[in-house]
Amino acid sequence: MTQTLPPPPFDPELAAALGVISEMLPPFSLDSIAEARGGGAFPALTDEELRRDGAFTVEERQVPGLGDDPDITLLICTPTSVEGALGCVYHTHGGGMVLGNRRMGVDGLLDWAAEFGLVVVSVEYRLAPETPDPGPIDDCYAGLKWTAEHAAELGFDPSRLIVAGGSAGGGLAAGLALRARDEGGPALLGQMLMCPMLDDRNDTVSAIQMAGLGVWDREANRMGWSALLGDRHGGPDVSPYAAPARAADLSGLPPAFIDVGSAETFRDEDVAYATRIWQAGGQAELHVWPGGFHGFDMMAPAAAISQDARNARVRWLNRLFS
Amino acid sequence: MRDLAVRLAALDADAGAALRVISYFDSLTETRAGLQAIVRGAAVLAGCAARLDDHGRRVHVRVDPDGNAAPLPGPGDDRWMRTLVVPDGSATLALERAGEPGPVEAMILERAAGAARAVLDRTRGRVPAADPALVELIVDASAPSDVRDQALHKLHLAAAAGVRAVALPSGPALLGPGAAVAFARAGIGPSVAPAELPASYAAARVALRFAADGTPEDPGPTVVQHDSLGALAVLASLPADTEVPDLSALEHATAAAPWVLSTLYAFADAVSLRAAATTLRLHHSTLQDRIAQAAHLLGWPITTPAGRLRLQVALTLRRLRRHPA
Repeated sequence: MTQTLPPPPFDPELAAALGVISEMLPPFSLDSIAEARGGGAFPALTDEELRRDGAFTVEERQVPGLGDDPDITLLICTPTSVEGALGCVYHTHGGGMVLGNRRMGVDGLLDWAAEFGLVVVSVEYRLAPETPDPGPIDDCYAGLKWTAEHAAELGFDPSRLIVAGGSAGGGLAAGLALRARDEGGPALLGQMLMCPMLDDRNDTVSAIQMAGLGVWDREANRMGWSALLGDRHGGPDVSPYAAPARAADLSGLPPAFIDVGSAETFRDEDVAYATRIWQAGGQAELHVWPGGFHGFDMMAPAAAISQDARNARVRWLNRLFS
Repeated sequence: MRDLAVRLAALDADAGAALRVISYFDSLTETRAGLQAIVRGAAVLAGCAARLDDHGRRVHVRVDPDGNAAPLPGPGDDRWMRTLVVPDGSATLALERAGEPGPVEAMILERAAGAARAVLDRTRGRVPAADPALVELIVDASAPSDVRDQALHKLHLAAAAGVRAVALPSGPALLGPGAAVAFARAGIGPSVAPAELPASYAAARVALRFAADGTPEDPGPTVVQHDSLGALAVLASLPADTEVPDLSALEHATAAAPWVLSTLYAFADAVSLRAAATTLRLHHSTLQDRIAQAAHLLGWPITTPAGRLRLQVALTLRRLRRHPA
């Protein structure tokens, strides 16, 4: 057996917050998904909250799914008072492929949208295990194509379109960038991958080190992937659009922003993804936040390191859009 | 996802809120977080700006409820909720909210002030470091009593009431009356008249053996007062080569997986399973499974009072073996 050393310690403020958070997080198992989905830990934003006192208009559109798939819902928030050309951030929410909805995580996107003049489009993709792969990524891709094709109607410049997502949503966003490249889909200006879930093999040193610790440990990750992929999970027959770490070729992708905590399951797969983009001649910016647990900046946003992590994303967006 | 901790402010009625506040600031102290992290914790947990003003050292830290450092000149408002960080009033911690503090606010003030006090003690020092040679004389029972008296005079301790000897891995130290404790690993003897310090030091050395490194390999309290050991102190007199099968069982169990030792210690030390789960940042059902596995590895049940005592004794003996006399 390979010796695995103890994991890096949590950042002091994050360690203190984790004590509070872990008590409030819903227990996670495939049997308790219904409970976790209905749980009040992450209340959905209301239209009124999304409007931010009139700074945004909010609408929801039904758009066609791929092939015979059912229609999907897109949440569309448009800034009301922006001069110059708008861009667009197409968002895939997180939740381990099994939880969450189109309103989750949108609050942070609205901050970017206000600062950089972006239309926010957030897709309601069908969730595993009820909808296994490729249903979720197909829904995300159908929504992305519709969004790019309707840029004029939505009021943004199609050359200023990025994809963004956190956790499972980061994996889906990476999958969208790969698929758009391979299928001649929408041209993307960038991909914002926040602590992305990329590798169904779930066997990196960080996954092993962090087993039983922090947020979204190896066991939770195993459940998420097996919900999405069933028996294929970890095996030879997994699509790179579902698990982008499986992609043999990472060249020709839009510039990537990747961040992750040093004390989380996804550390090594996310670092490896950035490294492979560079090796393939691509552009990536990688931040590994010392002592960060999974999703630390969302769950403990006040901590000094969380503020730094959010600011780093804004600085990247600033370089991308200006 | 919003900051879940923020929701504490709305949970006054919830007894769990107080426990969360305690665990939050204990954790900051354990990891030796700085003043800004402590004041930020107070601001975020209370949902209003918080400030620490140490006039003696001209340290002023103010943080808004979103966690941003927000220095603000001015003396503040007399109606704010506040507490003294040090008894002489030279440093205060305030929540910028007028009125009588509710139970959770009072708890935030108390625990944040305690954490801040530990930082101030650590960074500005308590007493000027005494000459180590003099301290060694004072705690040495074999030194002539007139030599010890001279040393006490030189350290201005001859007339002190209630001095405690401290055993550190590097040697002896002394704690004056009312002085705070901020040592990495230490045993602390009882408070005695200066002439009795050799006895206090002997007790402190026993207590030091019960003090852990506080690492994953050696979990446990890092500072132990001999007074609080009670009858447990007897365990220290067990000869080092005594065969204790429970110790072998414990080594066997802890070798099985890296989580076993921390789990056993947290379970033995916590007031409840839930508290242990919080310490370990685990869900309590996960912890329950692990406890069952660990008990199986040990070979005796640990959730019964007798079994838990047996576990506590085994863990204590393990620590004594790691820190021989």
